[in-house]
Amino acid sequence: MDFTMNEVSDEDLVTQWINSAAVSRSAAEKLEYFHKLQEVLIRKSPHLLPKFLQNMLNFTTDRNGDVKKALVGFIEELCKMRESLLPKVMLNLHMLLCDESIAVQKRVIQALISIYRKTLAWLCKASVITEEMENAWKQLSAIKLEIANMIDSDNDGIRTSSVKFLECVVLLQTYPDQEENKKPNDFSLDDVPLTLKLARRRKLEEEANTLFELLLKFFGSPHISSANLLTCLGVVTNIAKNRTEFMSRVVSAIESLYNNLPPTLTTTQVNSVRKKLKSELAGLIKHPAAYEFVEKLTPMLTDLGYSQQDILKMVPKPDERRKYCKR
Amino acid sequence: MSNISDLRIAVICSSNMNRSMEAHAFLAKKGFLVQSFGTGDKVKIPGSAADKPNIYDFGISYDEIYHDLLGKDKSLYTQNGLLHTLDRNRRIKTHPERFQETDEKFDILITCEERVYDQVVEYMESKTPVDNSIVHVINIDIQDNLEEATIGAFLISDMCLMLAKAEDLDNDIEEVLHNFEEKCQRPILHSIVFN
Repeated sequence: MDFTMNEVSDEDLVTQWINSAAVSRSAAEKLEYFHKLQEVLIRKSPHLLPKFLQNMLNFTTDRNGDVKKALVGFIEELCKMRESLLPKVMLNLHMLLCDESIAVQKRVIQALISIYRKTLAWLCKASVITEEMENAWKQLSAIKLEIANMIDSDNDGIRTSSVKFLECVVLLQTYPDQEENKKPNDFSLDDVPLTLKLARRRKLEEEANTLFELLLKFFGSPHISSANLLTCLGVVTNIAKNRTEFMSRVVSAIESLYNNLPPTLTTTQVNSVRKKLKSELAGLIKHPAAYEFVEKLTPMLTDLGYSQQDILKMVPKPDERRKYCKR
Repeated sequence: MSNISDLRIAVICSSNMNRSMEAHAFLAKKGFLVQSFGTGDKVKIPGSAADKPNIYDFGISYDEIYHDLLGKDKSLYTQNGLLHTLDRNRRIKTHPERFQETDEKFDILITCEERVYDQVVEYMESKTPVDNSIVHVINIDIQDNLEEATIGAFLISDMCLMLAKAEDLDNDIEEVLHNFEEKCQRPILHSIVFN
């Protein structure tokens, strides 16, 4: 009896809050309603979600940026919890990505890092691909292209987030070196079934290669900002360490950057970048797959303050290298 | 009191005792959303000689340290200001907190020495990001003594005021830090990590 009463009251509350939020003129108040709605629909009574999802998604056209950012957070949570709702939110995510507010756009790109991964994994384990799923993937692919183009945005934060999104796509859509080297939870092309017509391995891999080239081009652009350079440096070395097919190109790109730091950087920025280079290069030289590049990495590391002895200690020993076989 | 800015700020030193707490107190008074941490393995504070520091585990309260020192040598720890520092600290929060043990998210992590900056960056990069929001790590070198901690807190507060004024921090940070550096005449380091 209590249970039923409780059900009714949650549903009534949600209806009431949605109405109150719709007529509220204060952004803070509206945000407060939104958070209450999120709490009930995601945590307390998720069975109400299907009924009220569209009402929540209507906040896409709200005037307030903070409400729209909260909506992106809600969608992100929703996708983590219930994959079957992914197709219902794609269009709204696309609209929010095109929002006039930079902060909203940025939030969408950041959320899409986990949503993209989630969607691809979901499609890969589905027994049947419905038309709805197919449409969701098409929409997501369009979103992906738009984010890739945002690497040339006028806004530094958008560029940073776009770089992080591309890192995620490249890692998901390429092969790890070997099963043994796979990190836990590392989704890769190996997890894409050959029978999945919607997203063919070869096409996904081609796309990852194109996007990686885009990242490298951006990394090597002469007027890249210090913040973008720091992010990009972390991203390309991370890709090289996890997908060693890219190692050679990453080492060359870093070498070229090292010999020619962007002239626009201030002294402090140069210091921050050199510090980042020091730690990223040390990370690379410790990787067994970087052994053939030791001669290229050593002069940079010496110049950054490592002694020959330090470097020798970091280089993997022969047995570690033997254990590590490339794909 | 309403907050001066939405930015979630953490000030981090080694033991969460002097530099980070001085800045924590100062920023909190100005109305910032601020917390403080240490990155060290232990809480270390000066003792009766240079080679005899007082060492505690994170988890101990400022009040317990206060009473420990009071029992050990009241006049020494009154004279070198430690009891005063601990008294100030216990009014701000109960105990030193280790940065690597918090689940909280911040927009700005301010460190007080390069070694701490390295530890913070390394720790943040070792975690798998959850929401991928951008975090700025900024280092300002501050010597670990009472006077420098006071000066450091002023500088950090100046910087935070400048950061808070930025309309779009992720876009404007380089300019803000450049301006701040010219003003404060100390080298700073900046890096980007993700929540």
